[in-house]
Amino acid sequence: MDLIKEALSRGRPALTEHESKQLLQAYGIPVNQEQVAMDAESAVSSAAGLGFPVVLKAAGTSLFHKTELEAVALNLRSEDAVRKEAERLLNIPGCECLLVEEMVPGSRELVCGLIRDVLFGPCVMFGLGGILTEILEDTVFRLAPLTVGAAIEMASEIRTRKILNSLRGESAVAMDALSRTLVALGEIGMQHPEVAEIDINPLKIRPDGNPVAVDALVVLKASS
Amino acid sequence: MKGHFAAFFEPSAVAVVGASATPGKPGHEVIRNIVANGYEGSLYLVNPKGGEILGIPVQPSIASLPPGIDLAVIILPAGDTPKALEECGKMGIRHAVLSAGGFAEVDEAGARVQQEIEKIVTKYCMRVLGPNTSGHTSTPHRFTSTFFPLGKIRRGKVSYIAQTGNFATHTMKHILTAEHFGVARVVGLGNKIDIDETDALQYLGEDPETHGIIMYLESIKRPRAFLKVARNVTRSKPVIALKSGSTEAGKHAAVAHTAAMAAEDRLVDGLFRQAGVVRIWEYSHLVSAGKALSMAPIPKGSRISFLAPSGAMLVSLADHCVRLGLQIPELDPKTVRRLQDISPPFIRMRNPVDIWAAASVKGVEFGYREGMEAVLGDPNVDAVVTILMLTEDTGIPSYDFLVDLARRYPGKPVLVSFSGDRRYNEECKAYLEPRGVATFPEIEQPFEALSILAKCRQFMSRAI
Repeated sequence: MDLIKEALSRGRPALTEHESKQLLQAYGIPVNQEQVAMDAESAVSSAAGLGFPVVLKAAGTSLFHKTELEAVALNLRSEDAVRKEAERLLNIPGCECLLVEEMVPGSRELVCGLIRDVLFGPCVMFGLGGILTEILEDTVFRLAPLTVGAAIEMASEIRTRKILNSLRGESAVAMDALSRTLVALGEIGMQHPEVAEIDINPLKIRPDGNPVAVDALVVLKASS
Repeated sequence: MKGHFAAFFEPSAVAVVGASATPGKPGHEVIRNIVANGYEGSLYLVNPKGGEILGIPVQPSIASLPPGIDLAVIILPAGDTPKALEECGKMGIRHAVLSAGGFAEVDEAGARVQQEIEKIVTKYCMRVLGPNTSGHTSTPHRFTSTFFPLGKIRRGKVSYIAQTGNFATHTMKHILTAEHFGVARVVGLGNKIDIDETDALQYLGEDPETHGIIMYLESIKRPRAFLKVARNVTRSKPVIALKSGSTEAGKHAAVAHTAAMAAEDRLVDGLFRQAGVVRIWEYSHLVSAGKALSMAPIPKGSRISFLAPSGAMLVSLADHCVRLGLQIPELDPKTVRRLQDISPPFIRMRNPVDIWAAASVKGVEFGYREGMEAVLGDPNVDAVVTILMLTEDTGIPSYDFLVDLARRYPGKPVLVSFSGDRRYNEECKAYLEPRGVATFPEIEQPFEALSILAKCRQFMSRAI
């Protein structure tokens, strides 16, 4: 992938969120719609194009954990709100541009990703996402590559597996789409040794049950 | 690999290097073990002092051994091991068991000796077990390299791979004295400089003497190779593993959250599930699972029926079953009628079966025999546990009916536990187990063993 080569050639430790999502999308992983905006006014017109509400994020090659930096503004419902938040985000140190994203509805947040262990090699992770990820540590792993069957089996092994059922008017999670996402993560791990880690947190579940990556981080291996 | 393993498990000529005339020393006890097991190949002993040990002549050096030796069992201090191994290499001996401790598991000096050994192994294209192994056992070939005094090791159909010196020694002693099942092969891995769990699993997977494999592991040296091998083996044989260190907080330091979650134990857990290896969590289950595999068939599913002489047991054991992932299905109406026929009408018969009234009114043997026969014949039931009431007051049954039932329902495990007089519990165990019916002293244990067997079946019958 040119994205990876280029980031590595510039000595960057990771892909930006936008690049990360492009990589995931190239492997068939659904991601939310987003546009890059360089200033507040183009953010406003992007938002109008996507339709409200939107999410606005500060983006830059050194901004990894955006929540901690208060670099994410959720659920913006008007042009004024977008303009105001855009100006605030552009002032965050390290902010190079803005991401205007579709605000994905749905109350369920899962997590998935990839790690590369010295002995185990590339391994796919799946678990409960959102703010409870670190508290419940409800995650399972598989060695890549994965079959669809193994991915489905894996997804149903988390302790909070009931979250995959229909819940409060929202449909059951589309297991075929979820398993394809896990399989694809393993594929990336097998095909790109220079990818050290991938984090999709959260993988949101739309009310119709379809998963979508709304944040993503691809960490690269420093080439020796 | 199979060729190499034949040298370990079916050797025709073995040399014990570091043979000792002093009882109690490992270099002596290993010879006693080999003799006690009736090893039929040629046995050579090496000690510079020469002479005779247990009537076997002692060679003064490795160089004075005849050609054609398959396996050297080297029982020397760590520091003397490299030289002996080198001499074995020069003599054309390609397989060795390195029993000494004091290598990388102890200190840096030991680690250096271990590196020296690794070089010799590579130089002479040898295959070695250990160092720091308590040996290996092959009952079909009447051979063992274990130096812990065990005497004759009972033959069986289960094999063990153990990354602990305890298993081939004290745990084996426990199995030999407290239990009635035996083993096919035992592999003590030690520090795994060469042969590791993956090699051993591959051999045992193809070994016709091995019908089930149980492992104790502290690390997995080549996880990806292990996955490939285990995935194959678990289609045809049950494989059970205890992997210790599961609460260790060793996590990867990394940027992404995913990596922070990747404590090694979670990777091991994923690996085992992917490979179809049933994970167990208790050391004592190494033994109880071994007994269950040795004496009972693998059930077709996880639907069980059980009989107990107490309402409290019925309820608490039913809870236990649910926690273990076992199902307690409704019985076929025909079965229920049959149970109702043998019981006084004031007890409503269902699954699990309250056998107290039937046993006390119509006799212990009649109640249990008829009750077990009814549930064993039920198409909804995959396995049966019976908690046998044994007191003089209620009458001690003849235990033969249990052997007879187990034989007549060979596809369904029949596991026995007890309530009542300890003396008769032990008498019953001593009668049943040599006849192939597994018993367990604590009432929860047969259910735990069954849940392990049911998981084995799940993995063995999986589609992919």
